[in-house]
This record gives sequence, C-alpha cells and structure tokens, in this order.
Amino acid sequence: MALIMEQMPIVLRSLNVGFLQTLKLFIVTLIGALPLGLVISFGSMSKVSPLRWLTRFVIWVVRGTPLMIQLLIIYYFPGLVLKKPIWGGGEAGRFLAASVSFILNYACYFAEIYRGGIQSISKGQTEAGLVLGMTRGQIFFRVTLLQMIKRIVPPISNEIITLVKDTSLARIIALQEIIWAGQAFLKGSQGISGAIWPLFFTAVYYLLFSGLLTIILGGLERKLDYFK
Amino acid sequence: MKRILSVLIALVLVLSMTAFAEASDMAYVQEKGVLVVGITDFEPMDYKDENGEWIGFDADVAVAFAESLGVAVEFVEIDWDNKVLELDSQAIDCVWNGMTLTAEVTEAMECSVAYCNNAQIVIVPADKADEYSTIESLAGLNFAVEAGSAGEAEAEANGFAYTPVKAQADALMEVAAGTSDAAIIDSLMAAAMVGEGTGYEALTYTVPLNSEEYGVGFRKGSDLAAALNDFFAAAYADGSMAVWAETYGITAALIPQA
Repeated sequence: MALIMEQMPIVLRSLNVGFLQTLKLFIVTLIGALPLGLVISFGSMSKVSPLRWLTRFVIWVVRGTPLMIQLLIIYYFPGLVLKKPIWGGGEAGRFLAASVSFILNYACYFAEIYRGGIQSISKGQTEAGLVLGMTRGQIFFRVTLLQMIKRIVPPISNEIITLVKDTSLARIIALQEIIWAGQAFLKGSQGISGAIWPLFFTAVYYLLFSGLLTIILGGLERKLDYFK
Repeated sequence: MKRILSVLIALVLVLSMTAFAEASDMAYVQEKGVLVVGITDFEPMDYKDENGEWIGFDADVAVAFAESLGVAVEFVEIDWDNKVLELDSQAIDCVWNGMTLTAEVTEAMECSVAYCNNAQIVIVPADKADEYSTIESLAGLNFAVEAGSAGEAEAEANGFAYTPVKAQADALMEVAAGTSDAAIIDSLMAAAMVGEGTGYEALTYTVPLNSEEYGVGFRKGSDLAAALNDFFAAAYADGSMAVWAETYGITAALIPQA
C-alpha cells in the first residue's frame, strides 16, 4: 500500500495525459459523427434508389465489421498497399486516422437511430404542414426534427456511453490513450515496473466520466420534455 | 454523396500515383526530412528522462544517425507486436529498440549489423569466478532464476538445480546473501547492476549460456541499413560508440567492432 502511494503521483500524471487523449478522441468523434449521421440517414431514406442502396451498403459494411479492423485498415492501408502513408507516423497522424475511423463508424450507428426517429413521426403531421402551406424544409426543421431529437435522446445516450469505452480500441494503432498509459507500467515505465494496479485503476476514470455523462444526458432528456 | 464521391476520387488519384517507381528509402526519408523511429519504453535502450525526452543508448545513437542523414528524428511508441506492420505501412522508418535479431525479424526486415549482445549470463561471487568459467563447472550449483524468464529456461535446458524467485533483482540478492550459489539473468542487466561501482560489487558474471544479438530493423530492401552500418563503423572508429555505451552502462554488452 505504501508503495502504491509512492507510485501514485507518477502514475496519475501519466494516466491524466492518456485520459486527455481519450477525451479528445471522444469529443472529436461526437462533433464529426452527430452531423455526418444525419447526412447518412438522409441518404438511406433517399428517393433516388442508387444513392439509397449505396448508403445502405456503406452502413452494412461499417456496422458489419469490427471497429478494430476498421482502425487497422484506415491507418495502415494507405501506406501498406498504396505506398502513400497519408497519416504520417507521429502522434498527430495516429489521432487523425483514429478520428476518421471513429467518426465514420459512429455516424453509421447514429444514422440508423436518426432514421428510426424521423420515421416514427407520423406522416399526418407532414401532410398537415403541407396543407398549411409550409415548405418541406420548414416542416422538417420546425415539426419533425424537434420531435425526433426528443425521441432519440435515450438511444443516442446509449451510443455515447459506449463510445467512451470504445475509444480504448484506438490503442491498436498505438494511439496512447489511457489504457495504453496504464499498461505501460506493467512492463516498466518511468522507473516503475511490474505495477499491475495502474491498468485496473483506469476503470475509475471511465466510470467517473460515464457517470458525469449520464447526469448531463439525463438533464438534456428532461429539458427536451416539451410536447406532451 | 459528395463526401463519398470525393473519397472515391481521392482513392483513385492515390492509386494512380503509386504507378510511379519508388526512389530509394534513404531519399524518401531525406525528402520528408524526418526519420521516424519506432520504439517501446525499454530502459536502458529507450526511455524517458524527467523532462519527458527520449534518452537511452538506442535513442542517443538514433539521434546521431539521423543527424548524419541531415534529418530530424521522431520517436514513436509502437505496439511491439505490430512492428512489421508499422514498418511496411511506412508509419515508421525503423525499429530501434534493443531488438533481438531472430530469424523472424531478419526475414521480415532489412537489418543492420548486430551492435549489442544480450545473453542469459551466470552470476557468481567475484572471488569464486575462476572456478566457474565453463558450463561443465556449473553442474551441482544451486541457482536462483526469475520465474518464467529466459534464465529459467536456460537452467532447465542445462539441467541445473534452481530456485525460481520473483524477479531478476531477487536472484542477484540470493547470490549476494549466499542463499544460492549462482544466478542467471540478462547480460544487459548484469552489466548495469553487477561489478565495480554498482550495488553488487562482490558479484561478477562469467559464462553466457546462450547468445542473442540486438540490431536495427528497416523496411525490406531499404538502403538505410547499409547507411547505418557505415555510420556504426565510423562511430566505432572515433570512439563515440564506446562513450554512448559507457553513459548507459552497457559497455560489457557492446559488440566490439568486427
């Protein structure tokens, strides 16, 4: 126990750096995937059938393969097969490649949630809007979207909480997020070797952060409790 | 749709560019101006100092080698299991981290000459070193080895009687305390922890039981391996290799210039 207390400052500093990377990936993914998901959901509901089928094909591929494989393909494929290492080997390149993989992956899941939300709003409301002389754009933004947002908050919250933990997959392309930082002490780093507890301790970070998110998302859900 | 289209177009463009033949690997590195070195946290070869800068025997030599190429150096921590993937995808330009030149490694990479020995080496009290200079003379001794280590495997292979202990450092303590007659540990560690000016002045190392050699790995077919060999030759000649080895306490393991 005394030894752990002694190691604590070094380990915490290292875990904080790792967690910052986790947090960055989490935020960038949400900023990218939430709007991209809406675009993809429009594609999957498009009246133009080639576009609809292409979009659904992409969703099938992205949801049908492990995110870990997608990370490996997106990061290593350009250099390995095309001989053009577009990402670069540094930390920034790895982060960028991880962000692209996560945004694409999560956008596809979000797209299906959006589609469910949009299609759950009864057609009668659109028809009523048309009768009142509203344009389709007005109907979407003023009638459908608002109700859809309220309905999709619980499933989106689910995905967001999952995303917090999925960020750890990025260690496969050596993105040094918090699990990587914790694991480094197993073998030896900064004079501490063979320490197992830092790896397990990372769970505390995840738990606290997802607790915080649960509170925020719960608050959001209550705030959106208009209509009905 | 536009996004998907633009990605597709970009892919086609990238594909068409690969049709051009590649210049040499050295030209490629010099053009981008940085040598990306794949490492792990491994004292005394590559590790961080208090300011978070990478130092160590390998790190220092890598910095000097990059300087000789006229490029900057960038250290990137990699997943050791993915080292060949990292190299081939050009995410990194070399693996330089106390890498044992096994058959798997030399097959997958263009390797430099070996610059450092590692071995499982026998530790005995210094005053008894003369009696135990051959493997045959070691029979009948009681060994201390780290459980699950390469040292334990060697003890097993040679049919020695041994006590497994928790760490290599514990094995040294056993010998120093006289509870075991000898220990088997990594020679790199032995160089740093045993002998004059260390915590175990009364101990010394004698017989190596196996031998492993460290080398630097580049992409298959890369001309950088030959460039590094030339750099090594020059660094041996002007004594800088010996200075680096001295700094990180691996003089005993440094391979003398062939």
